[in-house]
Amino acid sequence: MSIATEREIAARAKRPIRFGVLRQMVDRRSDYLYVLPALIVMMIVIAYPIYYTIELSFFNTPSNLQMKDKVFIGLDNYARILTSRSFREVTMNTFIWTVASTFFAFLLGLGAALSLHREFLGRGVLRAVLLIPYVVSAVAASYVWKWLYHSDFGVIGALAVQFGFTDRPINFIDNIHTVLPSLIVVNIWKEFSFAMIMLMAGLQTVPDQLLRAAQVDGANAWQRFWHVTFPHLKGVSMVTVLLLMVANFNAFIIPWIMTSGGPAGASDIWITQIYTIAFGRQRYGLASAYSVILFIVMMTLGYFYVRALTRGDDTRVK
Amino acid sequence: MSMVSTAPSRRRRVKIDPWRWVGRIFLLFLLTFTVLPMLWMVLTSIKSQFAAMQYPPQWWPAEPTLQNYAKLLDPNGSTGQEFLRYFWNSFYVSMVTTILGVIVAVPAAYAFSRFTFPGRTFLFFSVLLRNMFPSVVFLMPLFLLMRWMGLVNTHGSLILTYLTFGLPLSIWLLKGFFDNIPIQLEQAARIDGATRFQAFFFIVMPLSTPGIIATSIFSFIGAWNEYVYAYTFLSKQDSMTLPVGIQRFFTEFATDWPGLMAATFLMSVPVVVLFLVLQKYFVRALTEGAVKH
Amino acid sequence: MAQVVLKEIVKQYGSLYAVNNVSLTVEDGEFVALVGPSGCGKTTTLNLVAGLLPMTGGDVLIGDRNVTDLDPKDRDIAMVFQNYALYPNKTVYKNLAFPLQMRKLSKAEIDTKVMDAAKVLDIVHLLQRKPRELSGGQQQRVALGRALVRDPQVFLMDEPLSNLDAKLRVQMRTELKRFHQDLKATVIYVTHDQLEAVTMADKMAVMSGGFLQQYDSPKNVFEHPVNMFVASFVGSPAMSLIPLEAINTGGKIALSSSEGWQLPLSEANSKKAQTASTSKIVLGARHSTLQLHKSKESNSVPGRVYTVEPTGDVTFVQVFLGGATVIVSLDPSVDVKSDQEVWIEFDQERLHLFDGETEMALTDP
Repeated sequence: MSIATEREIAARAKRPIRFGVLRQMVDRRSDYLYVLPALIVMMIVIAYPIYYTIELSFFNTPSNLQMKDKVFIGLDNYARILTSRSFREVTMNTFIWTVASTFFAFLLGLGAALSLHREFLGRGVLRAVLLIPYVVSAVAASYVWKWLYHSDFGVIGALAVQFGFTDRPINFIDNIHTVLPSLIVVNIWKEFSFAMIMLMAGLQTVPDQLLRAAQVDGANAWQRFWHVTFPHLKGVSMVTVLLLMVANFNAFIIPWIMTSGGPAGASDIWITQIYTIAFGRQRYGLASAYSVILFIVMMTLGYFYVRALTRGDDTRVK
Repeated sequence: MSMVSTAPSRRRRVKIDPWRWVGRIFLLFLLTFTVLPMLWMVLTSIKSQFAAMQYPPQWWPAEPTLQNYAKLLDPNGSTGQEFLRYFWNSFYVSMVTTILGVIVAVPAAYAFSRFTFPGRTFLFFSVLLRNMFPSVVFLMPLFLLMRWMGLVNTHGSLILTYLTFGLPLSIWLLKGFFDNIPIQLEQAARIDGATRFQAFFFIVMPLSTPGIIATSIFSFIGAWNEYVYAYTFLSKQDSMTLPVGIQRFFTEFATDWPGLMAATFLMSVPVVVLFLVLQKYFVRALTEGAVKH
Repeated sequence: MAQVVLKEIVKQYGSLYAVNNVSLTVEDGEFVALVGPSGCGKTTTLNLVAGLLPMTGGDVLIGDRNVTDLDPKDRDIAMVFQNYALYPNKTVYKNLAFPLQMRKLSKAEIDTKVMDAAKVLDIVHLLQRKPRELSGGQQQRVALGRALVRDPQVFLMDEPLSNLDAKLRVQMRTELKRFHQDLKATVIYVTHDQLEAVTMADKMAVMSGGFLQQYDSPKNVFEHPVNMFVASFVGSPAMSLIPLEAINTGGKIALSSSEGWQLPLSEANSKKAQTASTSKIVLGARHSTLQLHKSKESNSVPGRVYTVEPTGDVTFVQVFLGGATVIVSLDPSVDVKSDQEVWIEFDQERLHLFDGETEMALTDP
């Protein structure tokens, strides 16, 4: 605006200076009242524990949990974890557990979302039924599947015999080779419908006109999916995969209740390992160091999570 | 002309969409995968212990019985007393968590949606980042903290923990709902003589009821199903919530599978009913934020 | 009703000035329109008067009270919003009653006032409906009613007609004007549509880039725009602006175009042109002051017809002339065609001269 430049200069000289972050914060102190309750609760339950975990990770803590007797040992806890043989095995298990659960849950969810996208009789009921495993507690799911996998009276083993796959019941979770896949199946059962519901919502954002245009242009069903539907699902898919990964990485209940990491550590993942070290062996310092390592991995994932969640959100800030 | 027009229509009638059939078969598979475990849980729960422990299994209970349920729900028997105690504890903890969660999250979410104050972005990300951290990481320091505050074995420890860990999601969900309420409504109310708080309370709150319901279901189900903290913080029988309680209770008689199945069934009923009744809100809460409308 | 005074008000967002040192006085009972293109700061100004935004600097006086630090609720104002901002969960009756409830009036008083307002606006039959069951025009009336029941000192209106369709807008425009005349209300009215401002307002405040450009009666703004922005913003079709070069031809000034022709200025206009800070002068003319000739006449300059737009009553002809486009209005009976050679004659009494550097209007020295 080149108009009224003289006046602009005059105005600038006259303008009262009432700025600076502090001034702004004082001006808007009542706005903070809205956030204050949340802030206080979170400071106690989140900020303090994070600080304390980091602190403890540099100490050797006594097993009676009298923290005043803790001994500073620098990075020893970290060194011990990173050099131990079990760390590699547990990391491998964690990796398999997280990636396989995420991958298959997403795949089943995607298939379900695509199949359910078209309107048909009973679609709503079907969607609700498929979501039930996601809603019920993981504790309940673990017990039910533990019973299904039972080495003598488990229904899955019995069915396998019935249909002639084996001649005797299978020992799913007491076998170091089958235990991890068996747990992953439970996990997928529990969470695939989360991916389904997210992707169904994502599918609704695919413009019908575009699909029709593609059809007119001669694209077949697969081409329509690949060139129109799938690109529209990218954003949702990314968020879904990230959320699933975070949830799986943090999953504790299923492996803990079903096997507690056994047999012989074959289903031990980071989380169960940390729990055992802390509450089984009462070695808080070591467990804290383990937690910090986990933390760092999570922060990396978290960075992408926040990026995915807030994409396009900046426009709303004003 | 007529030749040309009949040919494609005949072809259309013969042609079936293979993808539709792939979809149907796939859904049938998923339905079986989802339902069979639940079905077997129910079938087992109405068998006697003897009938459950047979090989090959009784596919259908020969003598169905409700005795397992009767035992769990009998307020005079010791089993029933304990089970009902756990049930009440779970209900109490979940309910208080939900109510407090709404009270704390609503103003915070409103602030995030409406105000631009310094540090807002930072606060917001710290709220979101909480979602990333595994509960086990917080377990040890929180356990020590609760012990220091004398909250171990109290429901207060659980409520405080659930409240905090539910907050980020609640705030995020509610913010989405507040964002959809035009700011002019509040401005109009303030000009009409309302204070900022009155504008919020009389105008915005009633309009965000669906958001509050959605958030509440989420907190309730989350609290009801929570295991790790309850397992760590509670060691006294009479303060335990269901997920911990039934575990403790049944590992002593590790072989009572029908009883365990009946208990898991009863434990799942409240959340499943809640979910089925308020499905619309639940689904909305689940997808809000991740999918921009 | 009361007078409203804005004293050097400033609103700053970071380094951006949304409202920059605006001062103006709205007399008691006056209808003032704030006009300008989107982003010019007019709505922000209105929100500052309402108290919906904190001010960076300056004062707002309503009546004889300084309301700068008062909450909106204490300023005794009413506001009508562009999207009406009707409370969607309340019936029309409750929408109208809300401002009165907030002021703790008795039930009987509320009922009387709501019914009175509803009668005035002819919405009695809608009182039990929810806003979403109303048409745009009805919602508009309810929004007006909610402002009316309160009997405030000042009415603030933020583009209240822009969500209506064209026909309804014209109708509501006359109703609003009538409403203002009957109530003798002080009204500050924000619009981006200069036509609304010209037709309804006693005075218009033209804003651009956060600055108040001109504040005067529509007639004066139309006839004596202070700068090129106001000249081109007010009036439809817009004033034609032709950038030319001033040359001195023995005491008198002539304007010379890059196409070679010269337009000698009258004595009065020459004096104005001499006050310019530069030789670059922009010539402005409204379509109705121009005459189109099909053959060369004295005092006319050559151009070529670009388009011909018949609107029924008049025909607008766009003419390429001196490197700019000039709009001329013609009687529909005159027959011109695209690409035709024409000659344009300027009315020396009614043409405008602007300084090519400062873009300000050149006035008598």
